[in-house]
Amino acid sequence: MKEELRLVCLVKFVPDVDAFSYDFAHNQLNRNYVRMILNPDDACALAFALQVKKTYPSTRLEVVTMAPRSVEHHMLDLLRLHVDGGYMLTDPLFAGSDTYATTTILSSFLSQLSYDCILTGTRSLDGATSHVPSQLAEALGLDHMQDISRIDLESIKRQRPECTVEYEEETVTYAMDMPAILSLTRTSGYKLPYIAYEDFEKDVSDRLTFITHEQLECSPAAIGFSGSLTHVVDTFAQEHERRNRTIVQSDEAGIEYVYAFLKKRGYM
Amino acid sequence: MISFSIYHDIEFTKTVSAVENWEECVKNQEIIALLQEVLTPDQINTKEEDLYDASADRYKKYAKARHVLDVPMPTAIVYPKNTEEISRLLRLCNTHQINVIPRAGKTATEGGLENWKDETIILDALHLSHIINIDTYNMQATVQAGVPLQMLEDELRPLGFTTGHSPQSKPVAKYGGLVATRSIGQFSTYYGAIEDMVVGLECVFPDGQICRIKNVPRRSGGPDIRHIAIGNEGTLCYITEVTVKIFTFYPENNRFYGYLIKDVDTGIKVLREVVVNGFFPSVARTYSEEDAAQHFYHFHRGKCVLLFMAEGPKGIVDATCEAIERAVELHKDGIIEQVDSALIENWFNNLNWSQQDIDDEFEGMKEHDAHSGFTTEISADWETIPKIYHNVMKRIKEEYPRAHDLTMLGGHSSHSYINGTNMYFVYNYDIHCAPQDEMRVYHHPLQKIIVEETLKLGGSMCHHHGIGKYRNEWTRSEHGSAYYMLEKLKQAFDPNGIMNFGTIYYQEEGHKFQQ
Repeated sequence: MKEELRLVCLVKFVPDVDAFSYDFAHNQLNRNYVRMILNPDDACALAFALQVKKTYPSTRLEVVTMAPRSVEHHMLDLLRLHVDGGYMLTDPLFAGSDTYATTTILSSFLSQLSYDCILTGTRSLDGATSHVPSQLAEALGLDHMQDISRIDLESIKRQRPECTVEYEEETVTYAMDMPAILSLTRTSGYKLPYIAYEDFEKDVSDRLTFITHEQLECSPAAIGFSGSLTHVVDTFAQEHERRNRTIVQSDEAGIEYVYAFLKKRGYM
Repeated sequence: MISFSIYHDIEFTKTVSAVENWEECVKNQEIIALLQEVLTPDQINTKEEDLYDASADRYKKYAKARHVLDVPMPTAIVYPKNTEEISRLLRLCNTHQINVIPRAGKTATEGGLENWKDETIILDALHLSHIINIDTYNMQATVQAGVPLQMLEDELRPLGFTTGHSPQSKPVAKYGGLVATRSIGQFSTYYGAIEDMVVGLECVFPDGQICRIKNVPRRSGGPDIRHIAIGNEGTLCYITEVTVKIFTFYPENNRFYGYLIKDVDTGIKVLREVVVNGFFPSVARTYSEEDAAQHFYHFHRGKCVLLFMAEGPKGIVDATCEAIERAVELHKDGIIEQVDSALIENWFNNLNWSQQDIDDEFEGMKEHDAHSGFTTEISADWETIPKIYHNVMKRIKEEYPRAHDLTMLGGHSSHSYINGTNMYFVYNYDIHCAPQDEMRVYHHPLQKIIVEETLKLGGSMCHHHGIGKYRNEWTRSEHGSAYYMLEKLKQAFDPNGIMNFGTIYYQEEGHKFQQ
């Protein structure tokens, strides 16, 4: 067994879509109060990594994210969970990167790190970007397994993680060679620990490193808007059909109206 | 778990987790034996589940749901059946230095029902559940302390009357608690708060003395002694019966107004304009953008909201509506648009919290690292309230180290008076700490900022929730030199300090629970 296991956890901060509210009167999404949260699948990956570290204290765990500076607070909180180090890939030149350019940036940085395994989430709340880990695996020459619902703790220490993937018809356990990229799903149920009370005020900023494009071996032309083959032609809010509104009271007449409405449409 | 069944039919099942608690356990048995001198076995509840529930109120709702409360469980919950039994119980507790926590509807939010003593009995108003008299000629109703507000309201409505009292806890709250905590209802600007409604009451002091304050329209027989009982939060006496005013109900005249407005300041100015000109809509409210977003998701559009409900005889409603329209016109620069009054009416009809809502939140907290948020309510004069609001917002955003966890921070003014109004700060957050640390990481620091800013500018730190146990560190600052009077009341009526230890009055011994 290897003495020191080196894990990298790749995470993304996404808008809290559950907090979106919808303006039915004007058929539009209210984005004013949208907050950023740790992508749930990524949180499960980090939670598993922390379990590994807790079980095998010699494990070195680092967290990597590509994000604007505004999520620095969230990264510091991850470090307060006893993550050894964090890297924030932050640069105005990164803005507008499609998944391919994002992969270019991430792979450029990850190739500078030493690791046995990259853990991440399978899906992202904020869009169809779940192919990034696969693209990264391709770029880094690693094997990749996604939709993992469980990883045998001891097997990862043996450098041959046994990963359980649940398909519609069956559950399959794969043994992987490391280094590899392992993508977990939130169905895994791995839960982040709480920050200990005494750690809330702890200054962990010395463990957070900001990375700009100057520290990466990738041309500005290959990243951001200019490096993105996906061009956004237009952005628009999804149009919704305007519906007539009927307000009823919580009285007998209101209950009767709702009952008749549901019955007419076959719900009752 | 140690289970005793040596005293008649009482099975005492309070958990004993360590040998050193043995002495406490014996004391608790002795207390049960003493209680049996006054009560029958079915009036003494020592079920562990109920004792745990009685250990804390909604202040530590999250820790309670997660079963990590750090306060002792009371010895027993007792259910006296009449005033004489209460008198005997209080005299007994006074003699034996047993802490007593009076309880009625269990909707306290500031720790007033939390237990900080190893030997405590909860005096529950369960059996004081009778409406004694509804007198529609003299416009007053007399009820026992355990009568639910909703029960009296339901009796009055078919007769064409209303209590005029409608706190959000209306479906659950009971009169003893409402009076003991100086409760206020959502229609207070028209009907007044509970202290404006109580015309007389009966209460029992720790030495067993039963006092009845008669029901008259007014008196000048010295200081108004009703106010020794009203708002005492169970620290001076136990309220057994109250007589309240009732009001003629005119629901057919109700009219609603709603507006999107530029800012909180505009809303406060409009509220003031209406009220200082002598008009009292039953509801007059201004919401910040954030608070409006959680209440009026279907129309707020990211703006502040101003709303009114005019209630009463038609002539008064018409005049009040004219006054509202005039005030809005006067401040039209801050008004963005009027909203459909049906939306406001519908919202009001679904505002109250039922027991089911409370239970649902409790169940949700067991599973998720979240709850439905907290509030801190303060009051000040018209000129000061916007300053407090802005100071609090600024300090929280600039100073509070977990500001990035806040999912909601805002406020609304909901109860107005000729000389000022209240501000109900509301906030919620993502919880990243262990359940037992939640209050000290999140709620306490936020509440501290609100209280400090309020007291600094001369406002009151507690508009209608009472002081409870978690604002008692500021009770002296709240009252200033008048604290002398408050302190003397405690010394006079509860010299042995058996009434609701830690509530209102700061106690060094209880400080560990506030950390």
